[in-house]
Amino acid sequence: MTYVVTDNCIQCKYTDCVDVCPVDCFYEGANFLVINPDECIDCDDCVEACPAGAIFNEDDLPEDKKHFLEINEELSQIWLQITDQKDPLPDATKWDGVEGKLKYLIKEAPEN
Amino acid sequence: MTPKEKYSPSEKEAAFLATVQNGKYDRDIITGLKKFMAGTVPQDMQGFYSQDELDAVKALDGTKRDVQARMPVKITRHYFEQAKNSLAIQTLVKASPKETYDLDGAEDPGKQMTYSPVEGLIHKYELGLIYVASTCSAHCRFCYREELIAKKEITRADGTVAAKGLAQIKDIVDYITEHNRIVAENGGRHPETNRERLREILMSGGDPMVLGNKNIAQWLAALAQAGIENIRIGTKEMAFHPKRFDETFFAMLDTFHNVYPRVNLRMMVHFNHPDEVLLKGPDGEFIDDPQGGLVWHPDALAAVQAFGNRAWINLDNQSPIIAGINDDPEALRILQREMRRNGIENHYFFCGRDIVGHKAFNVPIERAWQILNESQQGLSGVEAHARLSITHYKGKTEVAAVTNEPVPGVKGGENGVVVFKLLRGAADASNRAKVTIVGRNPEAIWFSGYDDRVIVDEAELYSMYDIPAISAVAAE
Repeated sequence: MTYVVTDNCIQCKYTDCVDVCPVDCFYEGANFLVINPDECIDCDDCVEACPAGAIFNEDDLPEDKKHFLEINEELSQIWLQITDQKDPLPDATKWDGVEGKLKYLIKEAPEN
Repeated sequence: MTPKEKYSPSEKEAAFLATVQNGKYDRDIITGLKKFMAGTVPQDMQGFYSQDELDAVKALDGTKRDVQARMPVKITRHYFEQAKNSLAIQTLVKASPKETYDLDGAEDPGKQMTYSPVEGLIHKYELGLIYVASTCSAHCRFCYREELIAKKEITRADGTVAAKGLAQIKDIVDYITEHNRIVAENGGRHPETNRERLREILMSGGDPMVLGNKNIAQWLAALAQAGIENIRIGTKEMAFHPKRFDETFFAMLDTFHNVYPRVNLRMMVHFNHPDEVLLKGPDGEFIDDPQGGLVWHPDALAAVQAFGNRAWINLDNQSPIIAGINDDPEALRILQREMRRNGIENHYFFCGRDIVGHKAFNVPIERAWQILNESQQGLSGVEAHARLSITHYKGKTEVAAVTNEPVPGVKGGENGVVVFKLLRGAADASNRAKVTIVGRNPEAIWFSGYDDRVIVDEAELYSMYDIPAISAVAAE
């Protein structure tokens, strides 16, 4: 089982989840975070930590967000691990709650 | 973002941390019962709960008797494999409606929060306990940290209500440094608690072994740097997923040992029943190893032996005695023998605490003593080191003896007595080895079962609650 980051993280990327994750299983893209399903230990801590309410237990994923399971799995293989909390994206509060953000998702691995 | 002052490791720590690699672990955890109910667990797990069992638990969802809300349900693939052939392990790990038949119990057993000067730290005895993770790879139904794992809100000493938080490295290092400074300035004892320097920290949770190596290494280095000489890791991972103790983990430990050669590691392992580590033959019996002892699961044995090869690390087992799981002298005898043979000291057996739902798990105190005593008959002296302990608010207490004979001339001793001995004063070190004697009550599952039959109370286990000894009552 695993937890899954869904669309409301896109363009916000608060990273509070990273601070509470005991196993450092978050991976970072330019405007989204994902959870590596093989590393997640199901502690549930990130769900409450996320100011955008974007993280779900796999079993509680709403029907219209189920595809994020695969997105998390795929992107956690190509993105870099993030272990420290950082500032959210500049317009995080503006984007929080905006519908249909998936089209803004930047999948390319950020350069480092 | 809330700006939080982070701990900054010294150069020595940073150099060590730069060498640490995280491993990858395939625990194949199933959390919750939804997948069992939906039939989407792997084929071979589908019969693990019967339909009746699932229906009975589901019927309580959302009610105050919600079993899954009391304690989240979780199992690893490895533990499932061991559970397949063991009713004891199934009882340990499977959710049951029995857990919430009686919700009596303390929201914060042992009032741990009153011993918590810093979030995530319990300073009792000469030991500091820190919560570093709020989950384990699988969950024991009888867990006495259910309030932490299930994130229940606890009333603090100052009246505020909040879920228990995890320890942060900086807070803990600051506390240790300050405590040890005060002790040093006062001739080696804390002026208020009589405690010595903090030399030992127990990393607990949850299970620290769910953390990655890097995260564990940060704690080890920070604690060593703060002057801690003995670091304990309390873990059940050797039962739940022994492959967690892999090359990357031992490489981290070996490097740590090179950098901090005088710091000792004490692995406090948690095996409740020999079925957790031993293999069984087609007849359902343990298998004799022609070279001695019984045959272990190779992954568990490999983990234990890897520790055994490192003389700076000790292994100690402690386990509660729980109804339907290990209230069985024969099982405990085999457990103690196999632990000791393989380099694991038998430290404590515990009476269950008064957690919410404890009536489903606890064995009467006198029965637990008898079970342990019977299990140790026929063990050699070194195999029988374990004592039966029950945790009073005052401190860790041994159930030292239960007499079968009446004690003539002693009021309350007509049916025999139970002798409690305070092993360690939680708040005040000078309470050590004080004794309380009570008249027997074979039904008692907690100290309160003896409230009306206290004979001698030198340890003040009862007088602290204004419960008098019978002689004092008679004299009035």
